[in-house]
Amino acid sequence: MPIWLDDFLWTYQNVVYALGVNGLLGLSMYVVLSVGQLSLGQAAFMGLGAYSSALLTLKLHLPFAIVLPASTIAPVLFALAIGTPTLRLSGVYLAIATIGLGEVLRAAYLNIDYVGGALGISGIPERAGVVSIYSLLILALLGFWLIGRSAIGRAMEAIREDEVAAATMGVNVARYRLGALLTSAVLAGLAGALSAHVSSFIGPNEYGFEPAVTILSYALLGGIGSPFAPVIGAWILTLLPEMLRGFADLRLVFNGVIIVLAVLYLPNGILPWTMRRRAA
Amino acid sequence: MTLLRTEALSMHFAGLVAVDAVDLAVEAGSIHALIGPNGAGKTTMFNLISGLMLPTSGRISLDGADITALPAHAHAGMGMARSFQNIRVFASMTVLENVLTGLHSAITAGIAATLLRLPMFRRQEQDAVTRARAALNLVGLAARADDRAAALAYGDQRRLEIARAIAGHPRLLLLDEPAAGMNPAEGAALSDLIRRIRDAGTTVLLVEHDMGFVMRLADRVTVLNFGRRIADGPPANIRRDPSVITAYLGAKVAAKLNAA
Repeated sequence: MPIWLDDFLWTYQNVVYALGVNGLLGLSMYVVLSVGQLSLGQAAFMGLGAYSSALLTLKLHLPFAIVLPASTIAPVLFALAIGTPTLRLSGVYLAIATIGLGEVLRAAYLNIDYVGGALGISGIPERAGVVSIYSLLILALLGFWLIGRSAIGRAMEAIREDEVAAATMGVNVARYRLGALLTSAVLAGLAGALSAHVSSFIGPNEYGFEPAVTILSYALLGGIGSPFAPVIGAWILTLLPEMLRGFADLRLVFNGVIIVLAVLYLPNGILPWTMRRRAA
Repeated sequence: MTLLRTEALSMHFAGLVAVDAVDLAVEAGSIHALIGPNGAGKTTMFNLISGLMLPTSGRISLDGADITALPAHAHAGMGMARSFQNIRVFASMTVLENVLTGLHSAITAGIAATLLRLPMFRRQEQDAVTRARAALNLVGLAARADDRAAALAYGDQRRLEIARAIAGHPRLLLLDEPAAGMNPAEGAALSDLIRRIRDAGTTVLLVEHDMGFVMRLADRVTVLNFGRRIADGPPANIRRDPSVITAYLGAKVAAKLNAA
């Protein structure tokens, strides 16, 4: 690694990590929105990944190569439990159920001493890094790119546009929606495990309602015309607060203003370009 | 041979009986029209047949197989396709992508084959594109393949819906008011198209308000009124059927016509 790059990473390492992790979270939001569903459970899934991976590392001393894939198990199980009943219905049931999940889990983390209670878990060894974070981000982008340009991508877009017409074309709408939610839980769980293993500390309030809305705003700002859009949205909303450090407490206000402006003036996001939905 | 059959098919919405014990038999290779005044239950019949609604009672069978409780998405695999009265194209997708979506159940490549771009995936995608372009050719939209569906004029969106429905060569095609909003020239072209679809081996069941259109096109007509079947037969008989005339024009006018 050249010295200047080493210096740069050393100085901005937290921002570089956050860009990668938040990119993954943007994609985890993207896949749910791609099938026309609204979930506010991305932060909760991320918290499950973070807590379960931290416990596996600290209490069972498992190697990170096992901890990272294992961090997807708890989010997937919770996504199954919440998605199976709610995704058969159309409407905002998933959004409501996932808000509930976030709050229930926050209360659980706070009150269970085994997971550190209000103090959270500290002293998590730094096992993740630029390579693990960005290779997963690139793999996820590539996967969504390949899936998007196929019958599966067309079916997802069809569901988002008109679920009745999609079903008539032979698309099993409930199955696709559950698949999208499980995929999003996997990505958020991985993002949680990665961020826990670069930041050394996790606490119960990092995965509540507020981060859930922030993750939603990644996709709202970026758009969902292609998998690149939510990642760009995540990067803008990650870098912006760094540049607006002087505003301190007003940073959340900025996030809110950006969401409102994006919804009003950029209904298709900052990157409205729509990918092709076929391979040939 | 009867391709589609409904037996005593009923659909109740709370107190309203939308479809009341309707028997319907659609012969394979025919163009069969379902007509009736507004609110007669035609679209409800379509929604029951295509699985978007579960009937209160009765039975639906396709080529002898019971499909009464089959979920909507499983109908495509059984060889059934439909269009909608209010156009439901996928506006954000291109014309070609819309038709490719109609071939969804013909593509079996799973997630792994898709991610790895296996030869099977490539072959199926290419086959689908070939079939989709053929369907677009048939309806005369080949030149618009790469335009967004939202950019098409109303009549073209209707033709796109038909292309999307016939791309997979369904055994049974349900058309819900395909001629709505069309001028006589467009209507005549649509009649030609529906005949060509029938000649290519697809049985057609259509709901239509335009009587002239139906009488010229259909091999057989079933008439519904207030959810009940009031007549069934070839168009020439239906035209003279007193109960049909009464249903459409009211008893007074029908009596006057008889007297005249």
